Amino acid sequence: MQTRFKHNLTRIPQQVLLAVSFLMPAAAWANSSCESATAPSTNQLANYSTGWGIDERNTRYQPKSTIDSTTIDKLSLKWVYGLANNTPRSYPLITQETIYVGDGNRGLVALDRETGSERWVFPHEGEISTAVIPTEIAGQPALLFNDRTTGIYAIAADTGTLIWHAEVDEDPLAWYSGSPLIQGNRVYVPISSYEVALAFNPFYGCCTTSGGLAAFDLATGNKVWYLPTIAEAPQKTGTHWGFVQKYGPSGATVWGAPSFNKETNTIHFGTGQNYSHPTTDTSDAIFAVNANDGTVRWHRQFTTNDAYTAACNIVALNHPNCPDPMGPDVDFGAATILATTATGSGVLIAGQKSADVYALNPDSGDVVWHQKLGRGGIIGGVHWGMAVNENKALLFVPISDKEIVGFPSPGVAAPGLYALDIATGKQRWHQYSESRCEELECVYGLSAAPFATNDLVLTGTMDGYLNAIHADTGKVLWQFDAWRDFDSVNNLATEGGAFDAHGPIVAGDTLVVSAGYSYVGQQRGGNALLVFQLSHENAGAEHE
Amino acid sequence: MSSAQTHDSRLASRGRRLAATLIDAVLVPSLTIVLIMITDIVEDADDYLNNMWMLWVLLLAISSYLLLNGYLLWRNGQTLGKRLLGIAIVSTDSDNAVSAAPIWKLICIRALFFPLLFALLPPFILLALIDQLFIFSKSRRCLHDLASGTIVIRLGEL
Repeated sequence: MQTRFKHNLTRIPQQVLLAVSFLMPAAAWANSSCESATAPSTNQLANYSTGWGIDERNTRYQPKSTIDSTTIDKLSLKWVYGLANNTPRSYPLITQETIYVGDGNRGLVALDRETGSERWVFPHEGEISTAVIPTEIAGQPALLFNDRTTGIYAIAADTGTLIWHAEVDEDPLAWYSGSPLIQGNRVYVPISSYEVALAFNPFYGCCTTSGGLAAFDLATGNKVWYLPTIAEAPQKTGTHWGFVQKYGPSGATVWGAPSFNKETNTIHFGTGQNYSHPTTDTSDAIFAVNANDGTVRWHRQFTTNDAYTAACNIVALNHPNCPDPMGPDVDFGAATILATTATGSGVLIAGQKSADVYALNPDSGDVVWHQKLGRGGIIGGVHWGMAVNENKALLFVPISDKEIVGFPSPGVAAPGLYALDIATGKQRWHQYSESRCEELECVYGLSAAPFATNDLVLTGTMDGYLNAIHADTGKVLWQFDAWRDFDSVNNLATEGGAFDAHGPIVAGDTLVVSAGYSYVGQQRGGNALLVFQLSHENAGAEHE
Repeated sequence: MSSAQTHDSRLASRGRRLAATLIDAVLVPSLTIVLIMITDIVEDADDYLNNMWMLWVLLLAISSYLLLNGYLLWRNGQTLGKRLLGIAIVSTDSDNAVSAAPIWKLICIRALFFPLLFALLPPFILLALIDQLFIFSKSRRCLHDLASGTIVIRLGEL
């Protein structure tokens, strides 16, 4: 496909960051102040998860866990780490001894799982915005993560030193918001664009970038292939009142972690809306891509003519960079899930910000079933992700439906957690709570991705409650209120807030979640990395 | 403008100074926007690869200020707003004598240093407020007046 930007442009700040990364290696594991610190093997690194989706299918189901409906009442807060920013977007990796997590502008920190003390820090100025992915490079255990604006980083898991850094040169405004997926010797990285926000500048010629998926060599970080979601190059489509050129097509960005079908060697992902007219048939769509060479096996669009940018956020402004006609902004931002039904057939599950949920035939893209669960909105509908429990044949769908001031939100809100039959889409139950108060930041709703383990599903609400819900009944069995100050192990002023973004993660007897997310100032920010653990006598054996 | 005159009763009123400032605050950004549109410095995706675009916008803002006010400041110690309101900036000394203000003081200290200080260093935003509040002192001299040794007077009463 045609390369949209051919210039090899210099990025001085990123080069500086890279140099800093090389010159300021983290303290070696052996120098750690934490007791019982040993360098992890690759198997230990990937013992509990292989990435954002826990497995390559993005089920977000943890089979190695002792947390269930019989032990959940023994789950208690073990320690709290104060993160360096109040809208944390890093999804931690848990091993038997260590928790790895991005810490604001400090970098990636390796925390002792038992005490929370720091083992090492990979210094990095920038926002580590994705899951921390375990892998092996040159026979050594390694970690991968994305900085939201500067690309993908591979570092040694034992010392925290940089192995390689890579970025795409096809998109000058690339955002690396979606978590990478590692399969074999490849790293697959979803590419979105901050042009969606830049369009708010009326003197910016909107819009020219396309979303995409990039494949890198795991050993070297060299790019293997790049698939833009819009094949055709943008053309001038006119000028607005400020004599600023308008361009299109653009957008169709990829925000969520891809899922992988081992049987067919296929990568699946969803796309967002177009940023300008003319719209394409690749926006608000699901893609199936050959993992070897990036060729598109099929793609299927679910909402047509959806063009939207941040310039549309305040409709009354009649902003020149808001596409006319304006679309509903209903991305497939949530990661796709490749699930297996009770009869053994595979379905590809996709959730949209419109609150529509689809199960597709993974080989053809044909719709198996469809459910509309809410009204949708700027932060969902389905926003960050879903989870499945294949043992119970259940799909868990969080619906936000939050009304954001200034954004259009037509229709009746129906937030909460929905349990659907994986095979049929039939609703089993719906769990819902009232908002804790009348103020804007108190609005209930589920934007964060849920997490499933054993007979539980774990969700964080935007009004600050972490819930453990029985998978069979939808009954809340355990709840933690995170809207308070905490004493942190690193003695940083620490407070909880809204649960959003990647949501909780469970490994063995431990649950980790970030509390706080200040989305456009309409949710309560916070910087608490909460680590819960079952009391020891109840830890029991992991369910395999 | 004659030199060696005292200024006690000729200080420009606070209202005129505020009105002049508001006029300048509209005109300079307006011209900056026009220059941004003409030069296209923030129109393309490649313009945002680094933070250089911020420097270019700043330079255009300074250029706009000088285009609108440079000649008047040099000749009369006035910005366009002050010209419309009939007031001017003059130097003063310890003997209350006034004289034409050197152009470098008007440009470098009054027009650039303080606005840049306030704009580039966020903690100094309070200093900007304090700067303006000094207008309520008996001498009606803001901090930037004191720093540059100037006062603002009514021209018609000279």
